[in-house]
Amino acid sequence: MMKIRSKRLRLLIVLIVLLFLGLLTSLLVGSVRTNLQDLWNFIFNHNKTYATIFLDLRLTRALLAFLVGASLSISGAILQGYFQNPMADPFVVGVSSGASFGAVLAINLGLSIQVFGFSLQSILAFATGFAIVYFVYLLSQRKGVFKVETLLLTGIAAGALASALTSFLIFQKSESYEQAVFWLLGSFALSDWNQIAAVLPYFVLCFIIAQWLAKDMNLLVLGDDVAQSLGCPVSRVRKTFLVISTLLAASSVSVCGIIGFVGLIVPHWVRILIGPDHRSLFWFSSLTGGIFLVFSDLLARTLLPSELPIGIITAAAGAPFFIYLLNQRR
Amino acid sequence: MRTRKFQFFFLLFVLMASIHGNQKEPIKDALGFSYVINFPPQRIVSLAPNITEILFSLGLGEKVVGVTRFCDYPPQAQEKEKVGGLVDPNLEKIKALNPDLIIGFRGNPLRILKRLRSIGLPLFVLEMGNDLESVFSIIKKIGTVTQREKESESLIQPLRKKYKAVQSALRNVEHQPKVFLSIHGFGFWTSGKESFLNDLLAKAGGVNIAGDIPQKWLLYKQEQLIHQDPEIIVILTKSPEEFSKAKEWISNKTHLQGIKAVRTDRIYYLDENLAARPGPRLFQALEELARLLHPQNFEAE
Repeated sequence: MMKIRSKRLRLLIVLIVLLFLGLLTSLLVGSVRTNLQDLWNFIFNHNKTYATIFLDLRLTRALLAFLVGASLSISGAILQGYFQNPMADPFVVGVSSGASFGAVLAINLGLSIQVFGFSLQSILAFATGFAIVYFVYLLSQRKGVFKVETLLLTGIAAGALASALTSFLIFQKSESYEQAVFWLLGSFALSDWNQIAAVLPYFVLCFIIAQWLAKDMNLLVLGDDVAQSLGCPVSRVRKTFLVISTLLAASSVSVCGIIGFVGLIVPHWVRILIGPDHRSLFWFSSLTGGIFLVFSDLLARTLLPSELPIGIITAAAGAPFFIYLLNQRR
Repeated sequence: MRTRKFQFFFLLFVLMASIHGNQKEPIKDALGFSYVINFPPQRIVSLAPNITEILFSLGLGEKVVGVTRFCDYPPQAQEKEKVGGLVDPNLEKIKALNPDLIIGFRGNPLRILKRLRSIGLPLFVLEMGNDLESVFSIIKKIGTVTQREKESESLIQPLRKKYKAVQSALRNVEHQPKVFLSIHGFGFWTSGKESFLNDLLAKAGGVNIAGDIPQKWLLYKQEQLIHQDPEIIVILTKSPEEFSKAKEWISNKTHLQGIKAVRTDRIYYLDENLAARPGPRLFQALEELARLLHPQNFEAE
């Protein structure tokens, strides 16, 4: 016990240092040359030369990347516990592709209405994302047991179908190649404060609920019957988890497109470092995932003279890991 | 007394005229945003090659501070700071250039244009239009936002003259040949009804075989190509060398051997740099294309 606690503390310190470094480099590095002096002048001497670049362009990007990384990673951690499957994540299960279909559909239909403060786009993204995850859930469940292979295959098939529909909608309108790249591979290039405001409430809400139900997730892992007998309201908890993991993924996708594999690898790293207790897994995953995407975005915008879609970076890091996990199971 | 009255009205008139002259009415751009022209812009960023070209033609080359990586004409444009491409302009670079006018067009991604405006940059968006006539209105619009109305008029005049000259040379054309316009050289990308290239072809006295398809750019079906049997194929490439490769590629396709244009070897080169941009040089392309399609009409000169 003592050992795990000190491990956690050490990890926390490392993560905070990394987060600080990530945010600082994000602020300093870009296509326009700026140095620490400029940042110092901006913060302490109110020098406005680079105000827009620091605040509206770089900081929004880094913050949005952090929020999306955190959302996707908790979503992945939840799905992995939910399906008792190390390979689940919003991308693999098909939620992301489903949500991006909903978002693109809303744009194509010209729906920019707000209902109770929620944009119709994110509502539709949630609806289609949820439809996919529910579909996958029904198909992969046999007599209360999840078969890993069926889960993966149905998830990938459903995701491919949703991506095909998304591409169809995009290519129906000609001259929207960059739209296709955005929705299928993700990008933070056009982040603004509105997008942060759109993601933050979902993240905070779902984070609190996930943390609150983390103990029940620990029980669910032992099997539904055991969890039930230990006093966990299994079906209610399961439903809640499915809803919040979809909500997290859908809100992320509707601001930055599909970013794969984040939700897969981050919870694994965290589990290797501090163990499988969901009470700390959830919030460590969100912190690590946020940092991971901040650095991925940094790479995406500095690796080449023109920007890369961030999905390329995360897939390059995530796919080998996915294969490794698959191989380990044998 | 009468002269007094006249003087009074004259002065009043001058006064009103000068007030009117100073009052800048906001003009609307293609996205419906109003743009107020207060002073001639000193730092202009262009988000398309034809915009860059027009700016230089209006004598604003010195004032241009940023262009896209595709802006290669006039050669001086290549020395300007590159702010990215047509679909991926870099916000940070544009902001750092501190422009007092950014001229974009509807082909730049809408989300990027909106973002430029939301960080408070002075953006004016153009509608490129889909015919030769719109080139004049583009030049006029650019002349207005840069306060170079006179220069834009004198840029338009000779272009209009050339346009009319081509039209009158072609006035007694009886047969308009069916033409396939190959855009990339390789593959079968062509222009549909919505692109200005369709109008270019029509005004040069040809019939675009893809002209009934309501799209800008499209991948033409080879089956259709054989069925339509064009008399002439015009290939747009960046250089004659690329053209000869593209021509070889098309003429070596066995299933295209039966097409009239291939059989009679009427496969022509059109400089992509002239024709693919709705700018001043488009009328040069018009004349060249008209000469290719109807050489006999230009012999008499």
